[in-house]
Amino acid sequence: MIRLTIDEQEVSVPEGTMIVDAAAKVGIDVPIYCYHQALGPLGACRMCLVEVEKMPKLVTGCTTAVSEGMVVHTKGPRVEKGRQGVLEFLLINHPLDCPVCDKGGECYLQDYAFEYGPSKGRFQEPKIQKVKDGPINEFVLIDQERCVLCQRCVRFMSEYVGEGQLLLEGRGVETVVTTVDHEPAQSHFTGNVIDLCPVGALLSAPYNHKGRPWNIDRQTTICPQCPVGCPSKMTTRESHIIRMEGRPVPNRDWGWLCDRGRFGYDFGYHPLRILDSTVQGQSVSSAQAMRDTAQWMKETIRDHGFGSIGFVMGGHFTSEEAYWIKNFAQDVAHTSELATIRNVPGYLPITLNGTFEDLEKTDMTVFVGVDPYEAVPVVHLKLRDRLRHFPHLKVVGVGPRKLTVDTLPGTDYIVPSEDEAAFFAQALLLAAGEDPTAEMLAQKVKDYPLPIDSTTLKSLGESLLKAEHLTLLWDGENPQMEQIFKALAQLREAPTAVLPTFGPVNWRGYEKAGIPVRYEELRRLLTKAKNGDIRMLVLWGSDLMREFPDRVLAQEALAAVDYVVSAQIRPPLDMPYVDALLPVAAWGEVEGSYVNMEARVAIAAAGVQPPGQCRPTKSYMAGWARLFQQAFKVEEEWDLFADTEGDLIPRHGNGGDEMMPQAVERPQLPEDPGQWKVIRGDLVWENGIPSEILEPRFTPFVGRIHPLEAEALNIGPEGGYVDIETAAGTVSLDVRADSSIPERTLWVPRSSHYDWNVLLNEVRQIKRREEVRSL
Amino acid sequence: MFDGVKALAKGLGTTFKALSEPRDTIEYPEKRREYSPRFRGKHMLAKDADGHELCVGCGLCEAVCPAHAIRVVAAEAPEGSNVSWTNRYAVDYEVDLIRCIFCGMCEEACPTNAVRLTPFNELAASDRLDMIADKEELLHPPVRK
Repeated sequence: MIRLTIDEQEVSVPEGTMIVDAAAKVGIDVPIYCYHQALGPLGACRMCLVEVEKMPKLVTGCTTAVSEGMVVHTKGPRVEKGRQGVLEFLLINHPLDCPVCDKGGECYLQDYAFEYGPSKGRFQEPKIQKVKDGPINEFVLIDQERCVLCQRCVRFMSEYVGEGQLLLEGRGVETVVTTVDHEPAQSHFTGNVIDLCPVGALLSAPYNHKGRPWNIDRQTTICPQCPVGCPSKMTTRESHIIRMEGRPVPNRDWGWLCDRGRFGYDFGYHPLRILDSTVQGQSVSSAQAMRDTAQWMKETIRDHGFGSIGFVMGGHFTSEEAYWIKNFAQDVAHTSELATIRNVPGYLPITLNGTFEDLEKTDMTVFVGVDPYEAVPVVHLKLRDRLRHFPHLKVVGVGPRKLTVDTLPGTDYIVPSEDEAAFFAQALLLAAGEDPTAEMLAQKVKDYPLPIDSTTLKSLGESLLKAEHLTLLWDGENPQMEQIFKALAQLREAPTAVLPTFGPVNWRGYEKAGIPVRYEELRRLLTKAKNGDIRMLVLWGSDLMREFPDRVLAQEALAAVDYVVSAQIRPPLDMPYVDALLPVAAWGEVEGSYVNMEARVAIAAAGVQPPGQCRPTKSYMAGWARLFQQAFKVEEEWDLFADTEGDLIPRHGNGGDEMMPQAVERPQLPEDPGQWKVIRGDLVWENGIPSEILEPRFTPFVGRIHPLEAEALNIGPEGGYVDIETAAGTVSLDVRADSSIPERTLWVPRSSHYDWNVLLNEVRQIKRREEVRSL
Repeated sequence: MFDGVKALAKGLGTTFKALSEPRDTIEYPEKRREYSPRFRGKHMLAKDADGHELCVGCGLCEAVCPAHAIRVVAAEAPEGSNVSWTNRYAVDYEVDLIRCIFCGMCEEACPTNAVRLTPFNELAASDRLDMIADKEELLHPPVRK
């Protein structure tokens, strides 16, 4: 620790701390533009000039590290004169168009010019004209005249994200921030430069001219688009969500968001949003829909007894809503047939669930079937942050395609999803040798043929066992991986953390509320429905045909039951089977808590009114209970927060046997190895709720195939249409070449908004579609 | 009785005296008073010499208004349109004349000198909603006779 004096206040900080950070520690505010703790010092803007005794000139506080006995003055005539000079220079070519600038009112240039700047500029010459409201891409606008050239955006994109899509062009006063080759920036993280920009140079295009700091409300919330649940702020005006911003959490999160989360907030106003109650194809009033559905429930219970109604949770509901549904099902509808919609069969015990703090300490990270850049982009950014601090970070991808990306380079082992567990079991057996756990784990798959040689497997197994802080990201596609994680936790003494990337986004919250989340529970419930033991299905946000991988079972179950009640925010694929479609309030319209992939609880505030006839879950449950003439206590206290663990869900599981790994089951060898394989992956852009703002960025060419095969099919780099012959018929699909896909493999996004997705089983042949699709 | 007559004469005296004195009232609406040139009445939104709206919808009037009487919704001007002199304009501009206290702070805060308080003060209406002046109304200020 180093002791120094700043403005007569003693402060001790670790070695290497910059003066501005040391000053912030004692509550002294030094004005800054270019410096950002995540990006490191640069010293470009000269705004943070401070006076250090025994130094001949003013120094920049953001690039000067503290030293023992240093005496710093952040105020005084010399500093003031320096800052005035800097601001006068910054404002020479600034257009001073604050009234039309969206940053007006929350702009550091305004604030510092007001606090430290000269009252008048002495510069009489005409100002240099540059591009105003030029695009960086579909979402970000640049006003080069307002730029103070702090380079935060350029450094963020090139150094932090690693995708150098922004650069400085020109010299001297002609310097401008622009994109490479003046092409739109394609990164998933471009929106962050809006938050980073201290002035009004980089602005959000969807928010452009929509609000001013004094006529908006900001709510503390989380992003509901993927299981990361990034802390964010929601800007609302006149009961409309108009913006999302990142919300930095001290010592935990920098507040980065991906563009999906930052600009995908408009689903509430999407033309597809369900706004009316529909019963048997008729549009009815909300009260009538509630009466009809309650009548069906009563009939079902009367005719078929208790336990004849099944509830399937899904969507983006809060944990509290899940809790009310569970209470309603148990106390009013007298059924314990509850399940959560799942699109992958995996489940992770809470004991193994890691946190993002593990990513900050990790020295080896393994992607099991998941490409974090596409599925959970902010986790990719967190790993980039780790790589910047720890260049020896070992990244390994194990899955049906290449999972590492250039900005986070690593080793890839391409094994089919069903062989992932066998792959790890063999690797651990080779590395651990005589260990009984490893032997037990691999007993059924010891001689299972894998496309990877044993030396490579052994060295991977060894590094898995030796890693000082192992983190694994898992897409849940292979349920056997649960045994591998348990075995790893037993075989290793150092910390092992697993982060599940599968959805629904709040599945951990549903689990905490008492709704079963395992895949088998859902399968069991649907089988009971198919067999006639369950006569009514209540689908709360879940869309069986879209999300459940076994579409045949879903279809049979939906067709077999007497009534299907579906509460949705967009039309489900189950629609032909749905008897009552209820509009329901979504994220942003109800307050509640969400539990993310690190099992951390966060509150999402309500900022707007639900549109149309949309009612919160609470109203439906209370209304139904009234129609059952029963009291239903929605006011009842139910607190997700545990006193001892802060905002984390406590990590102690059931203990004992639950954590004992079992032998990995032997995967079935594919019948015809020459057949096309269909692999699915999470793609945050395609997943979840539709957004109009994001539409320009959606590629129509969603399917991906190997470049050589694309060439053989005569599909150019921009993509093309193919006919896919499957067991269920021919599906036409738009595909493009992707070098991360192995040969004879077709990649499609998992449970996206395309209805063909679930049809893609047993692909026999892919042919070029010659005629142009008519619109 | 004499006292009564005396009082009557005194009263009538006052009345007749008042008839010849200068009057404080005027015959409104045939005659109207002269106000100070700085009188603050109903708002207007000004246009420049080319007919472009001066208001850019910055919302500073909304921010400064102590009575929360102003609502501004801005937007980007559609491509090729010349509503305002710049690419930002006010889609909605409403002044609630019941709430307004005619302090003139909006006029003072306006960076483009678009909102001005006219001397027009005849603000009677038979409906509360008629007292909310919208943008169209404000762009065509009534002239005080």
